[in-house]
Amino acid sequence: MTRREKVLAYLEKHALSIDQGVTTSEISEAIGVLRPNVSKELNQLVREGKIEKINGRPTHYFVNHATKKREIKVEQQKPTIGFAGAAKISEQSIKEHDATNKNEVDVFENMIGSRDSLKNQVEQAKAALLYPPHGLNTLIIGPTGSGKTYFANKMYHFALDREIISKKGFTTFNCADYAHNPQLLMSHLFGYVKGAFTGANSDKDGLIQEADGGMLFLDEVHRLPPEGQEMIFYFMDHGTYSRLGETTKVHHADVRLVYATTEDPESSLLQTFVRRIPIIIQLPDLKQRSAREKLQLLEQLLTLEANRIHKNIRLNEDVVQALLGSVTYGNVGQLKSNIQLVCAQGFLNSMHDKNEITLLFSQLPPNIKDGLSNLADDRKELGNLSRLLEPTMVIKPDAKRGLPEIDSYELPYNLYEIIGDKATLLKDEGLDQTAINNFIMTDINLHLKSFYRQGKLEKIVSSLNEIVDQEIIDLTKQIQRLLQEKEDYPVRDNFIYAMSLHISSFIKRIQSGKPLRHISSDLISMVHDYPDELKIAEHVKDLIEEHYRFPVPESEVYYMAILLVSLKSEPKAGKVGIVVAAHGNSTASSMVQVVSQLLSVDNIVAYDMPLEMSPKVALDGIALQAKNIDRGNGVLLLVDMGSLSTFSSKLTEKTNIHVKTIDMVTTAMVLEAARKTALIDSDLETVYRELREFNGYSRTIEKAKKKKNTVQKKSDHREKAILAICSTGEGTARRIKELLDEILVDNLIDDITVITVSVVTMKEQIAKIQQDYQIVATTGVVNPQLAVPFVSLENLLQGGGESFVSLIEEINNHTAREAVNLEQSESLTEETSQKYLGQYFTFINPAKIVKTLWGYCDFMQQRSNSHLSNAFKISLIMHLAGAIERYLTRSEMSVPDEKLSRIRTDKLYPIVKQANELLRKKFNINLSDDEVYYIVELFNTEKEKIDTQNK
Amino acid sequence: MTMDVRLLRIDSRLLHGQVTTNWAKAVNVNRILVVSDRVARDQTRKTLIVQAAPPGIRVNVITLDKMIRIYHDRRFDILKPMILVEDAVDARCIVEGGIKIDSINIGAISFDDTRVMVTDAIAVNAADVAAFKWFHAHGIKLDVRKVSNDSSKNLWKSLSEKGLV
Repeated sequence: MTRREKVLAYLEKHALSIDQGVTTSEISEAIGVLRPNVSKELNQLVREGKIEKINGRPTHYFVNHATKKREIKVEQQKPTIGFAGAAKISEQSIKEHDATNKNEVDVFENMIGSRDSLKNQVEQAKAALLYPPHGLNTLIIGPTGSGKTYFANKMYHFALDREIISKKGFTTFNCADYAHNPQLLMSHLFGYVKGAFTGANSDKDGLIQEADGGMLFLDEVHRLPPEGQEMIFYFMDHGTYSRLGETTKVHHADVRLVYATTEDPESSLLQTFVRRIPIIIQLPDLKQRSAREKLQLLEQLLTLEANRIHKNIRLNEDVVQALLGSVTYGNVGQLKSNIQLVCAQGFLNSMHDKNEITLLFSQLPPNIKDGLSNLADDRKELGNLSRLLEPTMVIKPDAKRGLPEIDSYELPYNLYEIIGDKATLLKDEGLDQTAINNFIMTDINLHLKSFYRQGKLEKIVSSLNEIVDQEIIDLTKQIQRLLQEKEDYPVRDNFIYAMSLHISSFIKRIQSGKPLRHISSDLISMVHDYPDELKIAEHVKDLIEEHYRFPVPESEVYYMAILLVSLKSEPKAGKVGIVVAAHGNSTASSMVQVVSQLLSVDNIVAYDMPLEMSPKVALDGIALQAKNIDRGNGVLLLVDMGSLSTFSSKLTEKTNIHVKTIDMVTTAMVLEAARKTALIDSDLETVYRELREFNGYSRTIEKAKKKKNTVQKKSDHREKAILAICSTGEGTARRIKELLDEILVDNLIDDITVITVSVVTMKEQIAKIQQDYQIVATTGVVNPQLAVPFVSLENLLQGGGESFVSLIEEINNHTAREAVNLEQSESLTEETSQKYLGQYFTFINPAKIVKTLWGYCDFMQQRSNSHLSNAFKISLIMHLAGAIERYLTRSEMSVPDEKLSRIRTDKLYPIVKQANELLRKKFNINLSDDEVYYIVELFNTEKEKIDTQNK
Repeated sequence: MTMDVRLLRIDSRLLHGQVTTNWAKAVNVNRILVVSDRVARDQTRKTLIVQAAPPGIRVNVITLDKMIRIYHDRRFDILKPMILVEDAVDARCIVEGGIKIDSINIGAISFDDTRVMVTDAIAVNAADVAAFKWFHAHGIKLDVRKVSNDSSKNLWKSLSEKGLV
């Protein structure tokens, strides 16, 4: 008999009605199970509705007979509320709905924004589903957390209601899950036959068959390997497919396919997909949605939490604003996670209150508190919200809203249950309320963070691991917790980096017995302006002393205080905003994406204009973006073509925002604009004037620009330098310098020096350095606010400094770095290959052979069942031309015999032989096996390369 | 310690496919440096060359000037590069700039209006011949091989046979 059964059995014997209710202690004693464990089971049973409780001290429990009948049905499901069972519950409720008024009900009606920001999307979805005879396949595109899965789910329910699909079943598959193992992925999707591979002991149907008559949702479809794409395309076109290990496509399935991706649809991976899919639904990010919708979303998400805890949730205006402002990149998903976090906290703080939990601004975690100032930056949005907001908001549980759908933002366990159990447990152990709260808050943070920032956090820590001991990272985390909980010091993302680097270099110095740093009077006077940080620094010192058991010198406290001051957030207000508007579906947004990733700036937005868009619509759209990004200091509009450059005055008229327009936008120019506006005190006119001069890409101005460049070079003999800044200029900064020097050498950059600088006398040092050096970038614990890019420590350390290198390349090469995208057009590559053939080969006529060689590539692509990049095709064509030339000049390459015999067993060998037939037919050329060896090797090398890249 | 240049190779096609991979493995390099002023300015060719790199080995396209600069810069001593140049003139330029080698590998030099064929894969013009003479005078071996396991031929002999030197 399990513990749960024992508890239930006791209740059924002794507590069959309200007046017979028993207490936790009574049960504990009677069945000999520890009280906390009994409590846990009771809570669980209450949640499942199998028993009920009477509130009071102590709480009494009794068996709930009304629900007993349902029990058998529910038993099969996982009983935790809010996860696995949830979708089924909502399905049930929809079924009930069905009975009354089928066909009339429209599941999209209840979706927030269905009449507003999602109106088009909903129309598209309905059209896609209703299109005769079998509907159209659909691709949903949207940023992380914008609700792609949710939307697909709605589509499914709509289809079910309208009897468009015959069978229940919304099958989801995330292509990223098996992206590293295409064969496994394919076997999941399409199934396999017995003997297809080791371990395939019997035939098995895939998800496609499982979804027959229903809907299949493929998430993160950009991770689907080429083989999978091919098979899915075939299936889309013909409705038939083969299982793994079968040669003929004999299986038939009627499946509605819905795909989703976060990827830019213009990306090469997706282009083939986009061509084949008639309906593309673009979901907006949260920022683009109206204030009313944001509020509705917030209410909805809070209601879900209220349903879970069966209590009202009360919150003030400022909490609402902070929550909405706390969403930085993750859209609705992030909002959901943040709401879960604060509700969990509120739940803990209001456990004594049976009816209501209160969310107080003062108790919010710092990253959510920051939301309020984020929102305050956006006056327009704040204004819109304030109009809609009541001073206090009370959210009541609402059964109609149901329980959350399954999605990746849902925790895989019931958080409130954990809190409840743990609190009871700790209370039983005699801890006081504050201690309990501290304990559990740490837990909540840990749970939530580990869940919803999985990838990101792991990566950061692991990259830090390479340069700092794990012990120090752990100690830093401990310090971080202390500061968060005890000192109310706002800990930001870069804290772990900066602090652990600081501690690590300090400890290294102590251990190596180097002399201690002296304290300058500058430092002392500076620190005395920040008594709070000095106090905290003392605490940190104690922690370090306690951990390492050696005394930390007083001077270190001062440096620590400076570091803490530096790490506090800088107010971000008043930056000039940038709107990039360009023709094409994603031209503007991809430029903006590149720049905001490189410089991590937030004062820039894109506006894409498909060619068919009317100027009127474009003007309105741009006006909206201008309003969004304006921080009161005007907006710079960067456009691609002349007709748009007349918009300035119209925009100013429309929005009352000072707008200046520059045309012929390029990525380099957007970068330049972002750099210049990154300074808080830069004004629109200056930035505009400087950028006009920078604007030199049209032919007429090119000469002038070149001249200017040479003049600049002459006048600027100073060597280029990067500043690495830390509180001492010796510890962290030196580590950064070592790291950067390594990156610079690795990228063969020899004309940039890395100079370390201390925060204390930063201004003077920089002024001095600028006499001899031209500073091109800065990095470190604090942004010195120079007119050059600043790279934060976390960006520097991630990905081996790659973003840093591209930044340096941008600096060194403003104009030339218009990325060459070979994967764009086929005709371009055919032309390109012809051009190169002409340049390098003596005996062959490029115009004559290029078609055949191109056909050779296509043949190989088809037969080897792998996608060949255009760059690889060009290499292959060049290699083949070489082989043909060698054949003609009778100087073919030779290969040792043992290699030759090995290659004959390669699975590509027969395919290459077949491809060579093309050459034989066309030119009467028979390539020797030695040459075949090199062609096969060329393919294998490429494959090896792709494999290592994917790892 | 100076930079250990494992191979200096003349090939008008610079880095291409299997041939380069073969050499990179044979002479054990940790970097491939494509040295050409023309290519360093041509973004498309640069992209193509960088993408054609053998797995695990990085390729940089740099100017002649930079090649000489980093060769003399101690920070870059950790490189064990294979250097690829387009023609003999560029090769001579960097050797004159101080890069120490005792033999030059010649793969292919394409034919054009100014050049005459010397072997089936190598064509030369007056400037090339002048450069090869210079190498010969400095005791640098002119090694003709397409891939590492070909048997080596001496270009000087071929040039002499054609009466070019």
